[in-house]
Amino acid sequence: MRFTRSRTLLAAAGLTLAGALSACGNAGGSDSESTDVNVEENAADSFEDGTRMKELAQDGKITIGVKYDQPGIGFKGAADDAPTGLDPEMGRILAASLGIDDQDITWKETISDNREPFLQKGEVDLVIASYSITDERRQIVGQAGPYYVTGQQLLVKKGSDIKGPDDVKGKSVCSVTGSTSLEQIEAKGAKARGFDTYSECRDQLLDGSVDAATTDGAILLGYAAEDPDNLEVVGPTFSEERYGIGYSKDSPEMCQWIVDTLKKAEDDGTWDKAFEATLGKSGVDTPTPPEMDACPSS
Amino acid sequence: MSLTAESPQAASRPPGDALVVLDHVDKWFGDLHVLQDINLSIRRGEVVVVIGPSGSGKSTLCRTVNRLETIDSGTISLDGRPLPAEGKELARLRAEVGMVFQSFNLFAHKSILENVTLGPVKVRGVPKAEAEEKARRLLDRVGVGAQASKYPAQLSGGQQQRVAIARALAMEPKVMLFDEPTSALDPEMIKEVLDVMVDLARGGMTMVVVTHEMGFARTAANRVVFMSDGQIVEENEPETFFTDPRSDRAKDFLGKILKH
Amino acid sequence: MDWLADGYGLVLRAFLLTIELGVVAGVFSMLLGVLLAAARVGPVAVLAKAAATYVLVFRNTPLLMVFVFVFVALPKVDIPQLSFFAKGVLALTLYTSAFVCEAVRSGVNSVPLGQAEAARAVGLTFGQTMQEVVLPQAMRAALPPLASVLIALMKNTSVAAAFGLIEATARMRFFTNDNADVRTVIFLVFAIGYVVIVELMSAGAFTLERRWRVAR
Repeated sequence: MRFTRSRTLLAAAGLTLAGALSACGNAGGSDSESTDVNVEENAADSFEDGTRMKELAQDGKITIGVKYDQPGIGFKGAADDAPTGLDPEMGRILAASLGIDDQDITWKETISDNREPFLQKGEVDLVIASYSITDERRQIVGQAGPYYVTGQQLLVKKGSDIKGPDDVKGKSVCSVTGSTSLEQIEAKGAKARGFDTYSECRDQLLDGSVDAATTDGAILLGYAAEDPDNLEVVGPTFSEERYGIGYSKDSPEMCQWIVDTLKKAEDDGTWDKAFEATLGKSGVDTPTPPEMDACPSS
Repeated sequence: MSLTAESPQAASRPPGDALVVLDHVDKWFGDLHVLQDINLSIRRGEVVVVIGPSGSGKSTLCRTVNRLETIDSGTISLDGRPLPAEGKELARLRAEVGMVFQSFNLFAHKSILENVTLGPVKVRGVPKAEAEEKARRLLDRVGVGAQASKYPAQLSGGQQQRVAIARALAMEPKVMLFDEPTSALDPEMIKEVLDVMVDLARGGMTMVVVTHEMGFARTAANRVVFMSDGQIVEENEPETFFTDPRSDRAKDFLGKILKH
Repeated sequence: MDWLADGYGLVLRAFLLTIELGVVAGVFSMLLGVLLAAARVGPVAVLAKAAATYVLVFRNTPLLMVFVFVFVALPKVDIPQLSFFAKGVLALTLYTSAFVCEAVRSGVNSVPLGQAEAARAVGLTFGQTMQEVVLPQAMRAALPPLASVLIALMKNTSVAAAFGLIEATARMRFFTNDNADVRTVIFLVFAIGYVVIVELMSAGAFTLERRWRVAR
């Protein structure tokens, strides 16, 4: 019985590998391997009764909300089977610790506006969607992490007058409507231009309608890597975005599990591999994983 | 202003040269031949009453003279010039032809005074004050001077039709067309409109009047034109026409309207 | 309500942009719409056909598509770049003028034919007839549908939120993004803003309607 199960798992892992390889074209080259995650066996036994982790492990299924429109972070093309990027990789690591393999993860697209409602209503078990940790959000949902720290930067046309955040005063700068990035660039005196997606921003930048695009540097690097002749990322980061993993406040015990699991991944090199397979493809050096916040005592 | 030229012999004044000439005019409404080879010449100062059963084409004939209806063949000329086809030329011609409609057609959103001044001010470029002064004189003349600041809907039908006549006269037209001017009026209001028309006729205005009012025809017309089925069947002096019609169709028609 | 205390200036500025978009696009839509209506009922067959085609295209195209056309397709053409505000006004005007045209045309059709005939009989040209006699009366008849069209326009300005213009809806999304815990309140505050603007427009239309009714 156990033998049969491991064979199934092996086969599933193989499928995932193939899927990840074929799907990562948008995040960069397709010449590197996806993260190899070891799926725990008998994972349910290692969790206490009554915890959400135990329930998930026993069900053998998990639903994770990720973004579908951010290359390198969370991206799913129309023809892809599963999303790729650092966020889905984190999801796979967490699922694996529950003994859940890739094909039993249900991915759900979340946009900025529906992340909290999805968690509150239980439509997803986790949100891993470039979800910056803020005090306001922590009042209504749990956020464990950060598992990655990035900062806002500027994407411009090659040779632009804009060399950094001090040059944007009075210029049109594009980002996604309602995003924190847009608000921060507005605070720097730029004319904030909100569009629905980052790819629309890139188009506005290319046809000259806006002078720059802004969001987390990691995302911008993805676009610059796609079109290196015309686009470049300039200037230092001018904000700190600490990506956290969202969970429902109904299950506060999840926090420690997330932190422990990610810590283990950081220590054993899984995190590095996940980064290299995703954001790392745009040419940035793999950073040291950030120090994670302590979980609130419950 | 020739309108009020109250020369006592005006009605009997001999009509002058041809002012309106219709020459071999044909018109179809689809398959219906509504005007069939119409030849009619109206002399300056002449008052012509057009009479005939409904559907005979008499209203259409009247409306072709200022080209509210186009014609399919033949020519119509006014004061020696053929009617222009379109545009500003046509607008200029229409300004010289006054028209009074069965349903008055006063401009519903404009006051009585504005109804009368609109044409002179917009078409002739008469200064507003001058146009208003003349409008008030005309309104007084047709007996509705006291209503100048009211709106059409506040006036009776008879009053409205008199305003419509004043509106046409304000343009100092060469000829006035009346398309069944009393047909939409209550009986007690018909006379007040006819009185104004008789007055006009006496003043020497050239008039084409489509009407069934025998009294008016006998009092004011120089000539009666009888139409039936799109043709001019008969024309004669009023007295002769009403007492001794020659054609069977005229006899038949007169028999019907006089006996009812 | 901390967010409102801190950000009421931003809220007001956003609604100001909403109103600016609505008013400027409204004025252009009325001008273009009336011209289109005049062309549709006018005697020149080519113009009538062109106006009818315009209405067919823009009345049957979703507003979002018009926006995409103006913001994504037009910049690819080699013409002088318009500002974001101008592009927003252009998209809203292209769309709304088709509806204005139809509202005015229905108003024109409600004016008895005799009114235009009388105007022509007095010697007014087609343009004068439209301007002095037909349109003033048509606009009265068209006022209720026109009010609806302009109210729809005011709300349609929210589409601009996704095209670089930070009007009320775009600003609302900043606040909801930052203050997830009070989303419902934020939504209600912005919804009330729209309701107030639209109610003022309705009241204006009603006053106009009543005044014109008395004048007849």
